[in-house]
Amino acid sequence: MAIETEWRDYDVVVVGSGGAGALAAHAAAEKGARVLVVSKDPIGASDTKISEGIATVRASGNDDDTEEVLSENLKMAGADLPLQQITDAFADDSQSAYDRYRAQGLRPPIDAERNSPQPLPLPFGGHNRRRSVGHTNSGVAFGHANWNAVVQGDRIDYLEDAWFLELALETEPQRRIVGGLIYDAARGVLLAVRAPAVIIAAGGLSTIYFPKTDTMRGNTGDSYAVAARAGADLVDMEQTQFLPFCLASPPAYEGLLCGEPVTASFLGVLRDKNGKVILDGVYLRTRAECAAAIMRAVEDGRGSPNGGAYLDMTANKRPPRSGPYFMRFLESCLPTAYRNARQALGKAAAACDEPWEVRPAAHYAMGGIRVDANGTSVGGAGEGDTGRGIPGLFAAGQAMGGLFGANRLGSTSLTEGAVFGTRSGQAAADWARASKRQIGDSAFAPLISEIERRFGQKGDVAAATLKLDLQRGSWINIGPIRTGERLDAMDALIDSLAAQLGRVAIPGYAVWNQAFIEFEELRNMLDAARAIVVAARERDGSVGGHVRLDGRQISAFSIPYSTVVSRSHDGDWLAQRVTRQRTPLKRLIAHKIQDNKRKLQVKLLRMMPSSMQDKRLEKRYVAIMGAGGSAPEIAPGGVEGAIAEASEA
Amino acid sequence: MKVDILTHRDGKQAVVRYDYELRHEDEKPMALDVLLQAQATTMPDLAFRYGCRARNCGVCTIDVNDKPRIACRARVREGDTISPMATLPVLSDLVVRRDGIARQMRGHLSSGGQGNDLNVEAPDDYHDLTACIECYACLNKCPMHARNFDGGLPDDMAEGTAPDPGEGYRWGSPFSLLKLQRIRLDPLSTETGRENALQHALTLGLDACVDCPGCKCGVGIDLKRKVVGALLSAAKDRLPAAE
Repeated sequence: MAIETEWRDYDVVVVGSGGAGALAAHAAAEKGARVLVVSKDPIGASDTKISEGIATVRASGNDDDTEEVLSENLKMAGADLPLQQITDAFADDSQSAYDRYRAQGLRPPIDAERNSPQPLPLPFGGHNRRRSVGHTNSGVAFGHANWNAVVQGDRIDYLEDAWFLELALETEPQRRIVGGLIYDAARGVLLAVRAPAVIIAAGGLSTIYFPKTDTMRGNTGDSYAVAARAGADLVDMEQTQFLPFCLASPPAYEGLLCGEPVTASFLGVLRDKNGKVILDGVYLRTRAECAAAIMRAVEDGRGSPNGGAYLDMTANKRPPRSGPYFMRFLESCLPTAYRNARQALGKAAAACDEPWEVRPAAHYAMGGIRVDANGTSVGGAGEGDTGRGIPGLFAAGQAMGGLFGANRLGSTSLTEGAVFGTRSGQAAADWARASKRQIGDSAFAPLISEIERRFGQKGDVAAATLKLDLQRGSWINIGPIRTGERLDAMDALIDSLAAQLGRVAIPGYAVWNQAFIEFEELRNMLDAARAIVVAARERDGSVGGHVRLDGRQISAFSIPYSTVVSRSHDGDWLAQRVTRQRTPLKRLIAHKIQDNKRKLQVKLLRMMPSSMQDKRLEKRYVAIMGAGGSAPEIAPGGVEGAIAEASEA
Repeated sequence: MKVDILTHRDGKQAVVRYDYELRHEDEKPMALDVLLQAQATTMPDLAFRYGCRARNCGVCTIDVNDKPRIACRARVREGDTISPMATLPVLSDLVVRRDGIARQMRGHLSSGGQGNDLNVEAPDDYHDLTACIECYACLNKCPMHARNFDGGLPDDMAEGTAPDPGEGYRWGSPFSLLKLQRIRLDPLSTETGRENALQHALTLGLDACVDCPGCKCGVGIDLKRKVVGALLSAAKDRLPAAE
């Protein structure tokens, strides 16, 4: 056979080396566990590294920022889909977990008076307190911290260029994790690792929409696919966050972020290819509303040449008094996005003398592996319990579900990685110590022979080509707009691609076999796409990142529920609903009133004579930025980038 | 637009002339655009690394006409040659093994500063160094890194004598020096931590920098002054004088 298998033993295996994986490994090692980190990309090269680098640190700006305040803030932003024990955990640990990045060398600006990290100047739409801390060099600074945590050693071994292929599961005497199978591409061997605990922290699934995504290539849904194949529950998988304003051309910039609803400012509108306004008051809209408007125009044949629409901000720029303020606002509040636009679209567009061609792109999977507040796999009804989960399986970071639900509060993902990385690392180390016993090889044998067969598989198709088919289909059928018919079409596409897996040509050599890598990633992308289809069918109305053109908007006043999907041993997918706790009516109504007030204001503004409008706008810009200053930075994907989402619930 | 791509599979090398189809007349494609189109058309199993496509993640470095470039933001022209980074051993096609660089830092990243008050600002120089995206473009023409391959490149080594990257390379690079200088600039580091970092820089071959005209960073960090120069001046009593 072309590929050999080596055996290893560890207490805890961590899949992924971003914020969640690095801090999980560190926390488990701190508790005395021997840890192996497995990363297919170079250590630390994750979404954490390419993020805006803004972290939520509770009470960094206000003394009255209690755990309760932050937890409720998260839960309401997520349309009551988040699990309270998980939002509570986030609120409780946000400071101590953030400090773990600092222990690895992350150095924020400091407010000397408060003796704490210095938050950005304003509490934006989504956050009800000042608690978002920005960092020099954005996510790259976090990347260094994560790299240090893994590479340093201290009971942590690591592999990069290594694909975690499958969890090994024992069913007798009881179901539990006994390790996993890894393809070490750099050395060209399979590693069968015996370990009582595995933490999945391998990021999201946005690559199933490539090139309509602004995230790392490695997001091929590995986290969800590997967990689902082992029988784990996935929660809220229909909740994909799409950023509406990303670039559609040239190819090198496709998918990269160029704006958020708020950066369209007071007078920004969306137009179709004929110049007709398809959405006004853009800055007060949710991302999903913007994305759906664009995709509807494309659907009707009124889209732009590259399958998007036009974001027209020229009206902001023209007024003599407020125009210059707008330009400063646009340039400073989301600098990386503005830079992308300037480089890709040219000078006239950058000066807002002409509209920008925009198209939505996938940014974040808000659902994921169903866990409790310690990142431990759970199953069953309601909040779920560990007894019905997969013992020994843990998840953290974007891989897990239950924190965000239908909308993500700004600057939370880096803190999510730290909080649940640390918690899952500690829980996995405890589990490993408590459940230590001899692990046999029987659970591995069928997995190994399955992989051995793949090397040298004869065939007439390439997995990389099938991936492209899947990506095109995912965009159309499970992208920013969905219908029952499209979900059926997606099922059929997944079936047909899965049926061709046996025909993929894979050469027999063992060291960095790209065809094999493409094959394994395709398999994961198919399972992740299927999980979305099954969840999206179960949720037959629109909420948050999930827009059903053939269903109603789900009312915030109805009883909230999450979707839970899982895969049976035979490969059939099942869906169920689990109910969630609704925020008290009084709080919901207060939010609604706030929302309507804002919408009325924009209507009034639009009806004013132009000179009066100009003066009014100047005032508002000065209130945000000061007379000569620049706008406070916002985090892409956060609620402050789409203020309507704070009150969508 | 024709571009040569060096492929390397299962020990066999080849040059493939790929004809990039411009999507419109005035398109100026990046190296990564060419690789993605090649993969989508005639070379589906082409191996190359990429990540964010926005020059942030540092994984897509390749050589264009024998100079290290970050593929997602490196324009290519008719007749250019795309090859794997020459400074590291090739795994397949354009993918090199990066592992040996990081592993030499195991056990040497502690600043000794655990338990200090974390609420201290770092100086600007510190943040200048955390701009490093770890693209490894700085390995190009580095005499210290070349010592790992008897003063040459991985390709120059006689068969069977190449060092095992899995053990971590014996000799350092501007990247490893940057990591160590960062410890020296961290206000939370202890004096012992700073001294250990300097000692490790010497162990990794800092003496190779004494007569070197300097290294070039892929994202514009002033390595010569802020990393190498700073370490050389701190270690000047322990190094031979420049020629």
